[in-house]
This record gives sequence, structure tokens and C-alpha cells, in this order.
Amino acid sequence: MIKDITIGQYFPGNSVIHKLDPRGKLVLTFVYIILIFLCRNFAALGVMLLYLLAVVLLSRISLKMLAKSLKPILLIVLITSLLQILYNDDGRVLWEAGRFQLTTGGIFMAIFTAVRIAALVAASSMLTYTTSPTLLTDAIERLFSPLKAVHINVHSIAMMMTIALRFIPTLIDEVDKIMSAQKARGAQLDTGSILQRGKALVPVFIPLFVNSFTRAYDLAFAMECRCYRGGEGRTRLKVMKLRLRDYMAFLITALCIVAIAVSNYYLTAVI
Amino acid sequence: MPLLETQNLSYVYSENTPFRMVAIDDVNISIEKGELVGIIGHTGSGKSTLVQHLNGLLEPTSGKVLLNGEDISSSKAAKRAARFRVGLCFQYPEYQLFESTVRKDIAFGPHNMGLSAPEIEQRVNRAAAFVGLRPEHMEKSPFDLSGGEKRRVAIAGVMAMEPEILILDEPTAGLDPRGRDTILQMLLDYRKTTGNTVVIVSHSMDDVAQFADRVIVMNGGKVEFCGSVHEVFCRVEMLERVGLDVPQVTGILMELHKRGLPVRTDIYTVEACAEELARVALQRGNGV
Repeated sequence: MIKDITIGQYFPGNSVIHKLDPRGKLVLTFVYIILIFLCRNFAALGVMLLYLLAVVLLSRISLKMLAKSLKPILLIVLITSLLQILYNDDGRVLWEAGRFQLTTGGIFMAIFTAVRIAALVAASSMLTYTTSPTLLTDAIERLFSPLKAVHINVHSIAMMMTIALRFIPTLIDEVDKIMSAQKARGAQLDTGSILQRGKALVPVFIPLFVNSFTRAYDLAFAMECRCYRGGEGRTRLKVMKLRLRDYMAFLITALCIVAIAVSNYYLTAVI
Repeated sequence: MPLLETQNLSYVYSENTPFRMVAIDDVNISIEKGELVGIIGHTGSGKSTLVQHLNGLLEPTSGKVLLNGEDISSSKAAKRAARFRVGLCFQYPEYQLFESTVRKDIAFGPHNMGLSAPEIEQRVNRAAAFVGLRPEHMEKSPFDLSGGEKRRVAIAGVMAMEPEILILDEPTAGLDPRGRDTILQMLLDYRKTTGNTVVIVSHSMDDVAQFADRVIVMNGGKVEFCGSVHEVFCRVEMLERVGLDVPQVTGILMELHKRGLPVRTDIYTVEACAEELARVALQRGNGV
């Protein structure tokens, strides 16, 4: 059951999307999410969805995997859409029942909200699907390095994030293992009331915490043994450099911005 | 009827994702009552996945596990019963200890079985005796024990459920030779006293060669071979192919044999090896 979580997972690959500079990808994902919320009509939204589709196809991540990342937010999308349909009374009235009105405005708004949330999650999933966690934190460290001027230790924060991300799969594996071991001793982890289940987790979490602390000490010692002393004055094994493909991605995104600006200006806004 | 049996057992990890992997493929094994069976295979040969099916922890993708002829996943009750009748002790079991005292930790399994307090007490004491834990250990926190002691506490935790079949996944992993011998001897004594079936999973021939009645060799998720220790070691080219070594002493004798010394090569223990070498040395000394 734990293994079904795909958010934040990385699928190794060799596509052009995988190879893009992670800094560029990170920034572009943010830009994309902002753009999604600037779309005022279906034409603009369509452009953004095409953009997403192109990225997915180029990355050779199967659409099925992407759909899986959307599964956890399905409920949120449904509820927000339903609220839009019930409480928005712009536009033409199609159907009425007491206080509730079904209006064209409500339906458009519902579709817009659903698509926006889905695109937001899909875009951020594509970022993590195609960028290894180490590259991603590396990119964050570079992008935020100007903060060093105000005495924020960007390197330490990035290192902590790298280590945390690195140990997520390890911890998931470990939870799985400990759960199996305790189940083999007859622990019932998936039946009973909430209170019983909470109590049943004690035999899982105590070993997990104990092992995590041991591991943290071990890792700290290992790092010190290899003379780790923070980021001061270190050079890099892999120097990030923007290439043609990165500039192409910037250009395409810039074109999208123009397209949205134009459509927002010339076409009537749906919402 | 065998005590425990698998029929065409297969298991696939992460089906329908890029990480899809067939862990075990059409496995048919049977284990008789009272046997000591060794399951050996290289890392990733599927042996750990296989044993997790035997007590119903993993649900097979296809195939069946029969305990006394009854499918263990036929009902919820059957599955739960299988947990207690087939005791599974995981690899590095010391990492699953959690209670405040050793006694309570060993009692976790029996307690889950819903036994009465005196019965639990009895079983805990019996199990502790099997693994050589002394009374002064029992009230200590398991986290204050040494690595080897923790391992023994964890094994006792499974033994205390008094399963008909005790399965141990790499019980000697990470132990020094003396710790290894202690654990193996302990398991041997346990079987002798209780008459229960013991299954030892290992990647090392040294672990199983001395004691096992029968060895199941796993390779690439399939059963490569099944037979007595001697039969397995007769197939040197198979062992090489699946990436397993003969026990160290057997290896030495085989090498000596190759170099023209008339020693037997079906010997798996240091003691027997020493005897054999002494015998040959004596023969030579007598000019035979």
C-alpha cells in the first residue's frame, strides 16, 4: 500500500526532458503553474494542456503513470468542482432546484478548476518524475545561492534536503520490512478500530525511530570521516550548464506566455 | 501429504510499472514434517520472497501455498492461523525489537495469539532457554543487549509462538564464525527437542551443509535443484552457474583431490575434514 505512492518518485530515463538543466526545469515548472492560473479562456488553457502533453510524450513517461499521480487528488478535484457547480450563478441558467442553480458559468468554472488543479499536480509530478532528487536539490541550492548574502546557509539546507530525500525510499522499505516482521508475529495492523490500529503501530514505529537515529549517527560519522565540512570552497563534480535544449524550452515557454497574453486580450474571458 | 507445499507459486513485484520484476516464477516445493531444509540461492534469487509466501505475508500473483493440504489464503482465519503455524524470522530480526524488556518482546507473538498469561509465561521461558538467554537478560531492555544477544531475542520471539515450521531468513547474516555456529547449534538443538520442522534460508553453503536433510537451490526466481546436501555438491557446474560456492572445507578437499591427494570430497565440516586429512596422512606415512 505504501508502495503505491508515486508523488515525488523519480523514473530514470534518457529523454530530452530528463536531460534538461534541472534549474531550468524547476523555474519553468513554477512559470507553468503561474501561467495555468492566468488562463482566462479555453483557448489559453488548451495551449497549456498541449504544452504539458508534449512534455509527457517527449519524456516517454507513460500517461498511465501520470494518471496514477493524479489519483490522490481526485477527491479534492471532485469536491471543488461540485462546489463551483452548486454555488456559481454566473451565466445562463440551465436548471434550477430550490436554492441551487445549474448555470453555464458554474460548469465552465468547474471544468476550469478541475483542469487547473490536475495540470498543477501533473506538471509538478513531471518535474520529479524526470529529475533525480539529488539534481533537484542541487538546482535548489544554486537557485537560492544569492541568499548566502543574508547569511542563510543554503548549502546545509540543500544537504539536509538531499539526505532526507535520499532516505525516503530506505525508510519506506524499512517500514515495509518491520511491518512484515511484526505481522509474522501476529500483529494486526489493518483491522480494528482507529484506537486499536494506532496502538498496533507502536511495534512498527519504535524500531523505525531507533534505527533512524542509529543510521543518522552512522551517516554523520561517515561524513566526518571523509572530512565533510559544509559547502565552503568546494568545487563541483558536475557543473551545470545551459545548453541549446534548455534555451529551446525557455523559448517555447515564452511563446506560451505570448499566446496566453494574446488570447486573454482578444478572446472573451470565460472566467 | 507434505506439511507445507507450494503449487506453481509465482510473484511479480510492481506489476504495471517500469519497475516490474518477476521475483519467483512457478515454484513447486514441499516440506515434510520434522525436516531441516536449507533454501539457498544467490542474492536476488527469490528465496526471501518465497518464504514470505509460506506464512501468507505475501499474496501470490498466481499459484497456491498448502499447509496440511489446505490453501492458506482460502479464508482470513486460515491466513491468520498460518501466521502462527509457520513462524517466520526475518533477516536481521534484531531491528524489529521494540518492547521495554526482553521478556515482553518475546511475549509479543504469544500475546497476539490470545493465549493465557501462564501459558505465555511458559512459552517465553521455553523459547528463552532454547536460545540460551539467562534470567538476568529477561528484564533488561532489548536495546541494551549486544548484537548477537538481540538476534537471539528476536529468534526466541518467533520460537515462542511454537510454530510447526520455523523459517529463518539468513539467521547468521553479519555474525562472526563463532556467533554463526552458536545460532546453528541452537537451531539444531531446537529441532531435536521439539521435533518441529526448521527451514534455513541462506546464501552460504557453509550454513546449511552440515545439518540440512535436504537443500533447495533457487536461481533467478526458480527452483534450480532439490536434493540432499551430497547430491547438490556433486553438481559443481550447477553451483558455479547459479553463483554459489561449496563450503570452504569442501573446497579445500576438492582442490587437494585435484592435485592428486586421495581424499574424499563429500565432507562439509571442519571436524570431519581434519579426520579425513589425518587418515590420508597416516596412509601416506605407512607408505600405502
